[in-house]
Amino acid sequence: MLSLVKELCLLNGVSSGEDEVRAFIREKAAPYAEAMRTDALGNLIVFKKGAKATGNKLMLTAHMDEVGFIVNDITEDGYLKFAPVGGIDPRVVIGKRVSVGLGRVQGAIGLKAYHLVSAEEEKNVPKFEDMYIDIGARDRADAEAAVSLGALVAFESDAVEFGYGMFKAKAIDDRVGCAVMLKLLEEELPMDCTFVFSTQEEVGTRGAFGAAFSVTPEIALVLEGTTAADLPGTDSHRQVAVPGRGPVLSFMDGGTVYDRELFELMRELGEKHQIPWQLKSGISGGNDASAVQRTKEGVRVAAMSVAVRYLHAPSSVACVQDFDHMHALARKWIEAVACL
Amino acid sequence: MNIRETLGTLSAMAGPSGFEHPVAEQAAGLMRPFLDEANVDRFGNAVGVRLCGKPGAPRLLLDAHLDEIGLMVTGVEDGFLRFRTIGGVDPRMLPDRELTVLTHPSILGVVTCLPPHVLKPGDTKKAIPISELRVDIGMDQKEAERTVPIGTPMVFRGGCFDLKNGRLCGKSMDDRSCFTILLRTAELLKDKPLDVDLYVMGSTREEVSGAGAKVGTYGIHPDYCVAVDVTHAKTPDMGKGRRSNIGGGPQIGVGPNMTRWMTERMVGKARELGIPYDLEVMEGHTGTNGWHMQIVREGVATSVVSLPLKYMHSPIEVLDLADIEQTAQLLAAFAEHLGKEAGSIC
Repeated sequence: MLSLVKELCLLNGVSSGEDEVRAFIREKAAPYAEAMRTDALGNLIVFKKGAKATGNKLMLTAHMDEVGFIVNDITEDGYLKFAPVGGIDPRVVIGKRVSVGLGRVQGAIGLKAYHLVSAEEEKNVPKFEDMYIDIGARDRADAEAAVSLGALVAFESDAVEFGYGMFKAKAIDDRVGCAVMLKLLEEELPMDCTFVFSTQEEVGTRGAFGAAFSVTPEIALVLEGTTAADLPGTDSHRQVAVPGRGPVLSFMDGGTVYDRELFELMRELGEKHQIPWQLKSGISGGNDASAVQRTKEGVRVAAMSVAVRYLHAPSSVACVQDFDHMHALARKWIEAVACL
Repeated sequence: MNIRETLGTLSAMAGPSGFEHPVAEQAAGLMRPFLDEANVDRFGNAVGVRLCGKPGAPRLLLDAHLDEIGLMVTGVEDGFLRFRTIGGVDPRMLPDRELTVLTHPSILGVVTCLPPHVLKPGDTKKAIPISELRVDIGMDQKEAERTVPIGTPMVFRGGCFDLKNGRLCGKSMDDRSCFTILLRTAELLKDKPLDVDLYVMGSTREEVSGAGAKVGTYGIHPDYCVAVDVTHAKTPDMGKGRRSNIGGGPQIGVGPNMTRWMTERMVGKARELGIPYDLEVMEGHTGTNGWHMQIVREGVATSVVSLPLKYMHSPIEVLDLADIEQTAQLLAAFAEHLGKEAGSIC
């Protein structure tokens, strides 16, 4: 599982540019898929037969995209101006290494040398519109030869284990969900499952709308990465989730009040099978569940997530054990749903 | 020597002020092929010498510092590390920053950043002071206390990578790029006769006090010295004032810290050889080792030559490799015939 998560995190897939991730998953999923297609929004939809022929009853979804930037101007001096794609905290951006476009042109987000920063300036974080990417270009024409407007920009970050059982990479949100789905695909399943590797979650769960519409499931499970704020000095009720305490179960978030029965089922199964679990203790954020839930006549939704520190930043941190625990609990939950 | 490769090696090494030893050993090793001998002195400076063979010949000292800015662990809290800075570090670029914690063996750390939902509205626009930042090493309190003693230094993780057009981006270009210049200078001079004894110093503790250069210069007792360091190149967010781009060749310092005839000779050599250069006017403290070296013992004729660098004191400092070669060419020309052509103040 860990090596799969690593491989997935190293791929670039800023919202609407998920091609690399999709190609990787398509290849991995092909041997196990009954049917596989890519829809108009780029969602990769994989159907796998299980022991019970339940058709489209159950859909699982994880998003392929990650937050990043888009180039919206090139200056006379050859610097790239950009806007964030998805929710990025401006405090984690300056001085970071990035990779621009499909050709992965290497660059870095510039900043004023500290010696030249005034005491007043030091109190505030630069705004996105004042930031720029340096790719080493001599001038605009030189930059334009390598990068065009609209090029997507991904953070550059390796995938490594550190500390005691911890893992650092970019895009853990939500390549960990993709990895869990790929693992499930490899296994014999108790019921038919439709796996949706969705696009554009980070810019408003855009991919999930169409995927849920075409699949039309009765029940859907969202596999996600969610914020962990378990830092020293943070009140426990604001920590939301803690890496290492198992999958984070959602009863409600900024987009969805989840199906109570399906939520309780996750909790019961965790207890019964001794799989650690925790509650998402902050009602913030959202995921594909909100789009899926309101599709056609409605869909019963559940979500479980891996707790991730520094969620939308190049150096995100999660606990390796949580990956396997999420997989184990999702597996048990599917077995139970097959009997519903 | 391969400039890109040498700088790549040096940039990837960890050596914050006071902890330069591995870098100094490496630096001494890199100097040896071009000089008579090179060693690390008791203050940690890497010092190499090439004697010209004339008894009582004047001494020229070329200096670049080996240390880099960094952070220092001051406590452990719930498994996360508290820290202070070593040298000038902009707190605004620290959140979600990867560090190498210099335990044995070294480990990875990530500077924490609370997610926006835990903050008050508008707080994402405000910089987080160092006192509120911690380093995540993926451990609980017990493990962290056992693994990371208080007083452990940390540096930015990584080395450097290539941008377009022979431009290089990475950490500790300040000032390992200039030490690379000194190596290249020594190489250029290798088969040329000299009329001065040439000393090359990779000095320590520039970022905190300049103490390495101060004591090293005392020990060497030079007649002339050149402090080679980086200077701010033009970037889009820079205010008014004259700044040169990277790729425009060395910047030759002018002002009280620079002995006038040394500056003039440096400019003269650049013109003679057609080396692109610019003058950097500095009205007082140059922020380089030159400031300290100038007043060692009875005083030393001093020059400051600088390599233009963008985003100084960050993990993404950017320079142009061509500037390294140009600066080395200039320094080599300056060293040749210096004994015969040296100026004086009348």
